[in-house]
Amino acid sequence: MNRIASLQSQFQRAILTLDDEFDDKILATKRVSAKRRIGIYADAYRLRLIECLRDSYSALNTMLGDDQFDRLCRSYIDTHTPHHYSVRWYGQTLAAYVVGTAPYCEHPYLAELATFEWKLMEAFDARDAAPVTIEDMAAIPPDQWPNLTFALHPSLQRLQLAWNVAAMRSATDEDRDPPAPQRGDRLVPWIIWRTQRRQFYRSLSADEARMLDQARSGANFATLCEGLCQSIGEADVALHAAGLLKQWITDGLIIRIVK
Amino acid sequence: MQKSAVKRLPFLGFGLGLRTSHYQSVLAELPANIDWFEILSENYLVAGGKPLYYLDAIREHYPMIMHGVSMSIGGSDPLNWDYLTQLKQLADRVQPAWFSDHLCWTGLDGSNIHDLLPLPYTEEAIAHVANRVRQVQDFMERPMLIENVSSYLTYKDSAMTEWEFLTGIAEHGDCHILLDINNIYVSAFNHEFDPHEYLHYIPVDRVGQFHLAGHTNCGDYIIDSHDHPVIDPVWELYAEAVRRFGPVSIMIERDDHIPPLNELLPELDRARSIAQPILKEVAA
Repeated sequence: MNRIASLQSQFQRAILTLDDEFDDKILATKRVSAKRRIGIYADAYRLRLIECLRDSYSALNTMLGDDQFDRLCRSYIDTHTPHHYSVRWYGQTLAAYVVGTAPYCEHPYLAELATFEWKLMEAFDARDAAPVTIEDMAAIPPDQWPNLTFALHPSLQRLQLAWNVAAMRSATDEDRDPPAPQRGDRLVPWIIWRTQRRQFYRSLSADEARMLDQARSGANFATLCEGLCQSIGEADVALHAAGLLKQWITDGLIIRIVK
Repeated sequence: MQKSAVKRLPFLGFGLGLRTSHYQSVLAELPANIDWFEILSENYLVAGGKPLYYLDAIREHYPMIMHGVSMSIGGSDPLNWDYLTQLKQLADRVQPAWFSDHLCWTGLDGSNIHDLLPLPYTEEAIAHVANRVRQVQDFMERPMLIENVSSYLTYKDSAMTEWEFLTGIAEHGDCHILLDINNIYVSAFNHEFDPHEYLHYIPVDRVGQFHLAGHTNCGDYIIDSHDHPVIDPVWELYAEAVRRFGPVSIMIERDDHIPPLNELLPELDRARSIAQPILKEVAA
């Protein structure tokens, strides 16, 4: 290792582990000791990453309170060194960390909230795509409908939530007091997506979730209708499916109809 | 040291750092006293969404320069060609007159500390960094500027001044310099050197851009926090820089406690009102 790489290695270790082996490579000034000078960088490293996590996980911060959120961040930082050139990705594994770390894992809504907030981040800057319009849909001849497949917006995120975490986030975004954590009696399907500049999220009925999941995996319209037959009378299925499709188009979820 | 002839970069006027919280006011008001914007490149190395939407919309009205924080031009890891490829794609989109990053390293062994870590001021480091600057500049096919950083420590290994080091890299790497006036002030305080000596050493034609910003005085040291207005001694140093370097594109950075756009504009007007009489005087 050359001289520069060796110094950088020691400097980085001093920032990450706060060891003092780098101290004797640094000059003190009349006012500031070598240790304190290195400490400025070690402190800034942690504060910058905490700020990044606070930006990514605003509702998690609200629910935990500043002190406990700060403790969570510091323990995450101690075990996770950033690697991506953009700090935006630093919080990517926070939900997994929360799932496996006490005392946070004792409150399962925390990991679910972290997952929800990370998926909002993913939707935020996912690839752009222009959605199709109701007119595009209306122009398709009826005999082509059974074979139609649908491409969904690249920002679309699908998740199952047991807790009221979406309400926690929307309260935080609107600067309201968040609701107390409350577990529903079953898992509820949710989607998060973005039109060009705005993010949206909403829950889905079991029918809609099944149909959306099938559509994402490339099933054609006839297959989507068959899926709905499990819960809806056969006579009403096509109309119901067309109604859901129309809703997705209004929401900006469909970017291409493939004939 | 062998000095090559340098072509001066164009004078773009008086700019601001483009910040998310100002997107809508910029588009609604299209302020005429902002001549150009500097963007933080990493914020736009994304697939789509709001950042790229506003980037394109604002670029239609203003010239832009790309300023990065993650190149690690002084790092010991190999250059990150994936990052550089994305940076070049962004440059194709933005068409900046130049791009810049900091004279620093940001991590080792694949880590990114997300800080602008100083280098030891040695001949070995000049050769190392200048070689990387040449590679990056050739790849990007645009002029590259390296910026002096604020620093808080001094390596015992350092064998020259910061201004000799910066100049050495600009000469050997054949690149331009983004001279951050506030960083000179901050580092002069932290390392007890004379900021005027710094200014008067830097070769005039190498300087392509100035930065101005505020900082936080912690008593025993100063942190380059970009969260306050520019202070008077930095304005004075700026006036001296304008007198020495002539018409150099200047912009003001604010990264924290960002006020509404209309509160930043008087600061930009102040930069203009300081520079214009000096430039007129120098031209005469």
